[in-house]
Amino acid sequence: MRFRKALAAMVAALLAVATGAQAQQLTVWHDLGDNGIRWFNELNEIYRRTHPGVTVTSVSFPTDQWFGRSIAAINSNSAPDLLFNNYERVIRVMTQTNNRIVDLSSELAAAGDTSFITEADRRIATYRGRMIIFPVQRVQMAFGVRTSWLQRANEQFPSTWADVLRLGQKIRENPSGGAPAYGLALQAANPRDLIHMLDLFMFGTGLQHTLINPEGRIVIAEPRHAEVLKEFIKAFTEYRLVSPETVNHSFTDMYRMILGGRAGMFRVGDWNVRGWDTGTADLNGDFTLGPWPAFRQGDQNAVVIGGMRGVAVPENAPNRAAALAFARFLLSREAQASSLNNLGAAVRSDIPMDGLSERRLFFANPRGRLVAYDFPESVHEFYPQLEAEYHRRLLAAIASPPRDLDAFISQTSTDLQAWVDQRRPR
Amino acid sequence: MNAIAAARRTWNERLFYLFALPFAALVIVFGLWPIAQSIRVAFLDSYTALSPDPRWVGFANFETIFADPYFHASLRITLIFTALSVVANVAVALGLALAINSPLVRRGSTFFKLCIFLPVITPDVAAFIVWKAMYDQDFGAINAALAALGLPPMAFLARADSALWAITVAELWKHVGFYTIIFLTNLALLDPELDRAAMLDGASWRQRLVHVTLPQLRPAITINAVYALIQFLKTFTVAVVMTRGGPNFATNFVSYYAYRRFDEALYGEATAMATTLFVLVGALGYAMYWAAERRDWR
Repeated sequence: MRFRKALAAMVAALLAVATGAQAQQLTVWHDLGDNGIRWFNELNEIYRRTHPGVTVTSVSFPTDQWFGRSIAAINSNSAPDLLFNNYERVIRVMTQTNNRIVDLSSELAAAGDTSFITEADRRIATYRGRMIIFPVQRVQMAFGVRTSWLQRANEQFPSTWADVLRLGQKIRENPSGGAPAYGLALQAANPRDLIHMLDLFMFGTGLQHTLINPEGRIVIAEPRHAEVLKEFIKAFTEYRLVSPETVNHSFTDMYRMILGGRAGMFRVGDWNVRGWDTGTADLNGDFTLGPWPAFRQGDQNAVVIGGMRGVAVPENAPNRAAALAFARFLLSREAQASSLNNLGAAVRSDIPMDGLSERRLFFANPRGRLVAYDFPESVHEFYPQLEAEYHRRLLAAIASPPRDLDAFISQTSTDLQAWVDQRRPR
Repeated sequence: MNAIAAARRTWNERLFYLFALPFAALVIVFGLWPIAQSIRVAFLDSYTALSPDPRWVGFANFETIFADPYFHASLRITLIFTALSVVANVAVALGLALAINSPLVRRGSTFFKLCIFLPVITPDVAAFIVWKAMYDQDFGAINAALAALGLPPMAFLARADSALWAITVAELWKHVGFYTIIFLTNLALLDPELDRAAMLDGASWRQRLVHVTLPQLRPAITINAVYALIQFLKTFTVAVVMTRGGPNFATNFVSYYAYRRFDEALYGEATAMATTLFVLVGALGYAMYWAAERRDWR
């Protein structure tokens, strides 16, 4: 009897050791906050059903810390198993870690049916000939208007810039509830804030670049670009479409303007809709979505694909094989459905969409025109500095509006081109 | 006997160093080592700075920042803001301390001390968010007061010519209590006989203040001025919360500009700016201390 007990204990111990040896903990670093942590917890539950020995935990950092920590960790061989972030951010990590991000091209081939990943998605996920992320979430951004304000102004959803100006003026002159309100909510404090806003208007009216094309030519003085740029600057100055405080606003302030009922028209990201739809936010579902306004007759207005979020695997990931397997899992129907549910975005369209609100379907199953951001940072390494330089000049023009905007744009274009030419590899 | 005393002294010294050792180690590991590392990064190429094989670039990062007109503007703004803030904080703190120390308000002095010191213990971010809301052109309390007086609204933080002043006022509110408490403590230690003797000699209130009280407050004025100089040269939080360096770089202090550079992954330039600021703080702090100690205050 004693012998049997001892034998059973030995077998149990051996089993525990064997199971323990297989147990793996995968760590994902991202900047998605609580929504992201909830999403990865849900993914962990799903993944454990088929991979009982694998546990997935996620850590969310503020974006600036995510950069520094990811770069330092990869460079010092203490990398996490997976990184999850926007494509252009992974590029920066890659360039500062001597390209130590796994090329996922062959992994994608092993992921089964990936026909839902379009050629544009593959292009967005590729840098220097390597697929640096698995595209997991297309980041779409549409133009939103407070529905009740639109009705009060007796206007239709604005489809042209002229409509935006007219509605903006009505909102300012006759604000809801008597409190001051502005036509548009924008952000301008940081280079990415302001240029991102300009991107939305540029791409939304069908243009392909905001500042620089892949050949390194500054495009801001080209007639169609200059026209959008002039109107954009005037939104801050002559038209007073935005609060004067906008020059100091970053995204939190912009959200305060939107959710606090101080702006009638605003950007709506696919990740915003779930919260803004359900009545948990002050907006309380009182908004209508559509494409960005067209600036010229004949322009076909569009919703903007402003980014691609995806998963990357550092070359020195501690559990590299398991990390690659989990990365492939993120493209599965279950993981994609969870992504759509938690973060409002996915790349697959063959996932359950029952019960999604009309506004969530607007993004989940897009029917209108989509125009993708051009990701100049994937072509020009100096782009963040160029953007900062451009931001300075735009802020100066907003602070002291030039008499001749055409001359300002022309001069800025010349100066920035000289700046680029100094830095471009010959 | 002498040998015993000497041995005891040696033992006491050893004991002192033994107890001081853990704290010295902490200072070295968490204080001096990061500073040294930060200075080291200022001499590295940004793209390889965080890698095991960083590339040394000598003074290239310093050359870059000193050729940058925005860094010059940032330095100028930081120095102007510091000068304004040091003078304002020390002067207002002195005035408040003298007022609270006056027999006229002695009964409510604890209440006033509490009111003045409360902003110091308020978390910076929370305080500056409130100030930002107060300055808001549409909803801010200050503009509501202006409107009540029939005056036009003003975008305090959205105009390049007013943002620095608006920030200076918020910073004054936040920090003046600290300097006031130091002055109050020193005022309590003054020799009242000197003041009484001057009064008997027929000295006016102003004469007593200038020739009796202020010379005795010299250590407090020096400490407050040097501490304020160091604090305001490093100003960061208020710019992050209230203006993000704007509008149009009007509040782009060196600390904030370095942070922006860091955010653009230009680690070398960012730490070159931080190192420059570190040297500036050390040099100006020492110069001010030296000047204050050297001057004859009588």
